[in-house]
Amino acid sequence: MDKIQLIHTLPDVFVNRNDVVSDVWNQEVTFEKGKIYLVEANSGTGKSSLCSFIYGYRHDYQGQILFDGEDVSRYTVKQWTTVRKKHLALLWQELRMFPELTAMENVDIKNKLTGFQKKKKIKEWFEMLGITEKMNTKMGLMSFGQQQRVALIRSLCQPFDFLFVDEPISHLDDTNADIMGRIMTEEAARQGAGIIATSIGKHIELDYHAVLNL
Amino acid sequence: MKLVWKLLRQHISIPQFLGFFFANLVGVAIILLGVQFYNDYQALDSEDSFMKADYLIVNKKIGAISSIAGKLNAFSEDEMEELKDEPFVENIGAFTPSSFNVRAWFDVDGFANFSTEMFFESVPDAFVDVKSDAWTYQEGDTDIPIILPKNYLDLYNFGYAQGKGLPKLSEGILGAMKLKIQIAGNGSVDDYDGRIVGFSSRLNTILVPEAFMRWANGRYANDNTMKEPTRLIMEVNNPTDARIASYLQERDYETDENKLDASKTTFVLRIIVSIVMVIGLVISALSFYILMLSVFLLVQKNSTKLENLLLIGYSPSKVSFPYQALTIGLNVLVLLLAVAILLVVRSIYLGLFENFFPDYEAPSILPALLVGLVLLVVVSAFNVVAVKNKVMSIWKRKS
Repeated sequence: MDKIQLIHTLPDVFVNRNDVVSDVWNQEVTFEKGKIYLVEANSGTGKSSLCSFIYGYRHDYQGQILFDGEDVSRYTVKQWTTVRKKHLALLWQELRMFPELTAMENVDIKNKLTGFQKKKKIKEWFEMLGITEKMNTKMGLMSFGQQQRVALIRSLCQPFDFLFVDEPISHLDDTNADIMGRIMTEEAARQGAGIIATSIGKHIELDYHAVLNL
Repeated sequence: MKLVWKLLRQHISIPQFLGFFFANLVGVAIILLGVQFYNDYQALDSEDSFMKADYLIVNKKIGAISSIAGKLNAFSEDEMEELKDEPFVENIGAFTPSSFNVRAWFDVDGFANFSTEMFFESVPDAFVDVKSDAWTYQEGDTDIPIILPKNYLDLYNFGYAQGKGLPKLSEGILGAMKLKIQIAGNGSVDDYDGRIVGFSSRLNTILVPEAFMRWANGRYANDNTMKEPTRLIMEVNNPTDARIASYLQERDYETDENKLDASKTTFVLRIIVSIVMVIGLVISALSFYILMLSVFLLVQKNSTKLENLLLIGYSPSKVSFPYQALTIGLNVLVLLLAVAILLVVRSIYLGLFENFFPDYEAPSILPALLVGLVLLVVVSAFNVVAVKNKVMSIWKRKS
């Protein structure tokens, strides 16, 4: 997948509002593979909705979303599964981890599906993010900031053309945020992928090609 | 898949699944037993004609007037045609009586050497319940195959022999003994050898092949006119059909009440077996309902996990699989246990069958197994589809 286009996309809930001023909603926007974008937003402007629409999780919008020119509203279950497994990686704002499983199992459950990353690489990331000793701790017992780091590792355990990170550093200190940014850009560069990060204030420091205000 | 299972087995309620398991086990076991018992019983049916419900012997009532008038209790051609046209009658056959004198004695040393006057009757071969290759007669044969009523043998064994201290006779021994027969009539007297080829429970008379009867009546009868039959045997499709009883009553015909009773027993048994099987089906259906409720509850409780699995790239089929495998596994286990129960219970009642009917050969359990397999496939298919639909509703975020 080389580009994602939003053609006059607008969440249903915004349809009757006239005051929507946005670089994304109701515009024509193209995200290109290999480039890094920041979507800045205030709370309640539909940042998580944007991620959900593009990830095929929600469909309550108007206008079109195109992957390489194809309208995703016609995507089948099988196509979405492929997209989620091979083309789009997403770090959810609410993480969506499994509290019953350990940190490593949470990563494994994704990596066993894709078989993409080597165990050594995963351990290296745990090490870099300073959570090696938490590897076998149940997710439910970890702080949100720690969980955020595990969630990033999980999101990288697949091939992708675009990596979406929805407020990835909301609970991280600057040092860990930098490390996270480095891991993300390295992995994206290795795969030639694009990154789309969102933030509502504190944003992760990356080499952005464009900054959009939602 | 191990990790997925580790996740999805959360919230599995053991008591609910045990409840389903035993309820379904009872249901399936009852269904299988019903099918198998019915089959085993049918084999009994064809084995022993006493159970056979489908033949009735009909005669006209003998009253004071008819006995004086002589011929009145015979069936005319018209009456037979009329009977044949009734919807409950499959086929009818006439008893042909012998129109000559018969004397018979056993030619055995030491055996009570008495001779007796007797008679023969014949019915069309299709109605004879003793299947024997010897049941033929060609003109000129001096051997006559004979079928005796089973109760003659019983009378001798349990009445006469018991009282006189004589040896009891089996069907086999009697079959090996020669019965001397002298036939007289129309000016000639001839000797024949009678061979007892079997004992009938259906036909309460001394039977010879129809071919012999036709020939002998032609040769020995004083008047050559064929006598009209006084007894008819009819094959009916359902002996408990109320129309039979009313038809017979209207025309003052009589039938063997016992036979009608035996046939009623058979019919009632069939109904009981059907009812039991329906109960089994209902229990199974209810247990299936319990299973579906449990699985739905499980899916509901784990819906967040299922949704997250779908969002990290697991396909609905992959996510459904653990629950589908769980239900199929349970169904297979139920079937295996039900078959085991079937085998145990069956060995008990087959023992009883064999006590009563030594010649009984049990049929295979294939029909019951087939029914069980069909049930398994149908129920499992429903389970698989239901689980998939439930997961799809999570995919579509409908729940």
